[in-house]
Amino acid sequence: MDLLSVLRNAELFEGVTPYELDALTKICQQKTYSAGDVITAQGDIGDELFVICDGFVEVLRSDSPSDPSPKAIVNLGQGQIFGEMALVDRGPRSATVRAISKETIVQVIRRDDFEELCEKNHHLGYIVMRNIAADLSFKLRHQHLTSQ
Amino acid sequence: MPANYKVSYVVRGEDHPGAIVNTDQRPLVGDRIILGEREFTVLEVIDLIPPRGDFHYLHVTIQQAED
Repeated sequence: MDLLSVLRNAELFEGVTPYELDALTKICQQKTYSAGDVITAQGDIGDELFVICDGFVEVLRSDSPSDPSPKAIVNLGQGQIFGEMALVDRGPRSATVRAISKETIVQVIRRDDFEELCEKNHHLGYIVMRNIAADLSFKLRHQHLTSQ
Repeated sequence: MPANYKVSYVVRGEDHPGAIVNTDQRPLVGDRIILGEREFTVLEVIDLIPPRGDFHYLHVTIQQAED
């Protein structure tokens, strides 16, 4: 599947124009991970947002830095994003994300590139920020459902 | 443009974190789906929130598939 098709099917970009989507492809960088690879680690400083193109990742959280057994809180598959919290609030990574498929392919967007694009195009910035908020809301709803 | 379904999968009967996945086909009760390396059976499908654009948001309850 080509990059444009992948991004078109990601909710993060729902509502952007074809021109804006094309601009977004220019700041994406593809990375591939094997099962067990740690993509982000809880507590680390990060400035990248990830869009899953193929495969699955596991999101894990520890209660404390000395916690030896982090708890899986959700698995994310095609079309999902992670790393968005650090992108928005510039805080440390809130969770560890580990690839669990044999091959997990992601598109990586760096904060500086993303913010520059949003500054140049406020419509794009509004749409993507709204979609990040909607995604965080959906993740919260999922967490409520799994904890019932 | 075809519909996209953003699905919150919740696993019944075990301590499993569930999954969030996009799919281009609405899951139906009785369907078998593969999440990661495991196969599950769909038990229930509910529209979680109203659709927006091409996206539909579903809550799907699943359980480990029996052979």
